[in-house]
Amino acid sequence: MTRQGRSWLPYVLLALAILLLALSEAGTLGPVVNLTSYIFAPLERGVAGFVRVVGELSQTVREVRELQQQIESYQSENAALRVENIRLQEQYVAENQQLRLLLNFSEENPTYALVGANVVERGCEVYPCAEVIGVDNNPYLRYFIINTGSRDGVAVGMPAVTGGAVFAGRVARVSRQQTFVQLVNDPDSQTAAMLQGSRVSGIVEGRPDGSLVMTQILPDEIVEEGEIVITSGLGGLLPKGLVIGQVESVSYQEASLFQEAIIRPALDLRRVEVLLIITDFPRSTSPAPLEEP
Amino acid sequence: MSLYIALPILMLAAVVQSAWLERLTVMGGRPDLVLVLVVAWALIRGLDEGVLWGFVGGLCCDLLSGGPLGVWTTALTLAAFLAGQPWVHTLGPTSIRLALMAVVGTLAAHVVILGLLSLRGYPVSLHWALRTVIGPAALLNFILSPFAFRFLVWFHQRSLRQSRLGL
Repeated sequence: MTRQGRSWLPYVLLALAILLLALSEAGTLGPVVNLTSYIFAPLERGVAGFVRVVGELSQTVREVRELQQQIESYQSENAALRVENIRLQEQYVAENQQLRLLLNFSEENPTYALVGANVVERGCEVYPCAEVIGVDNNPYLRYFIINTGSRDGVAVGMPAVTGGAVFAGRVARVSRQQTFVQLVNDPDSQTAAMLQGSRVSGIVEGRPDGSLVMTQILPDEIVEEGEIVITSGLGGLLPKGLVIGQVESVSYQEASLFQEAIIRPALDLRRVEVLLIITDFPRSTSPAPLEEP
Repeated sequence: MSLYIALPILMLAAVVQSAWLERLTVMGGRPDLVLVLVVAWALIRGLDEGVLWGFVGGLCCDLLSGGPLGVWTTALTLAAFLAGQPWVHTLGPTSIRLALMAVVGTLAAHVVILGLLSLRGYPVSLHWALRTVIGPAALLNFILSPFAFRFLVWFHQRSLRQSRLGL
């Protein structure tokens, strides 16, 4: 395969690589990619396990290790309690405030006929822990590779949580043995969110440098620094109330239509080792039509 | 011989990169083990075999990435294409060529990845990428390249011995 002494192979392979890109865009390579997971998933599990064992062996001084473990357990306990506190606030305080407002509204408008709607109970059927076995090879993307797959009931779009109720991301690609979770700070990720206290809504987006920004906040909304950002559940793709982070700073330029808030993530996602995939959760439904008396 | 050893080596390198090296960030960047192996092999065995390794290595990286399939394949094939060019051999002693190609290959591969991601609609910040990803990655790949080169030279000599013996 030569042309006047020069080989065609490099050009053929370059063309093949570009063809792969085109086929990937067309979405025709799914079955082939799924097949390769049979080779890569066990290999990656093995290497991840080996790396873990070597990492553990390197901590030779026992006392230091024990102290580290103790600190870690206190930290995780603290983080879990903080998340639980936020969750309870979301569940009871915010709900209470909303119900009070509704009650005030009904008292102020006695002539109105009102239909009560129950707040749908939070809760989810959670799949057992999925271990993070790898990180995206591409330094510009933020995906986790976890050791569960379609055989365990995982499907594209399902939310992944960690550290209690902290939203980590969504399932982007799934094969039988492994799953790619697109993290909330991936540059291509968009999550419908709201602020827990003020109920201001917006979209949380990832930025190329891995930071989080809440956009689409209306200019007349008041956003306080330190407010907790949670998933809004809009669209029914995610459960409402999963913690995303905390408002670090707010910016608004006259020329732009919306305000932007820099979000400090609730957890350092680079250190996450275990994820939970929410395979099902109650979605809010529209109220049933009034029956004639 | 080349493809027989390319497959297991590059598969293992891609897995090690995903499971281990991605967590070893130095100055915000991380080494690209597969890229270093591909560039080193292109310097040792020339354009054809280098590009073949680039294609296979890129495919392995793509299969362990949530991004579009073909991004790494195109980037590594092009990096090997560059490193395997005959004029590279006129650039001085092997150590200089290796160091130069590790850096140039890193730059070329990352620019291709960023370009392809940008074409697909991903937000890309070239300034941030240069400062926190490409720069440190080029430095780490430069440090890693002599080790990868020595390892592959051993394979190269072994394959030459086998071909002389008619195996």
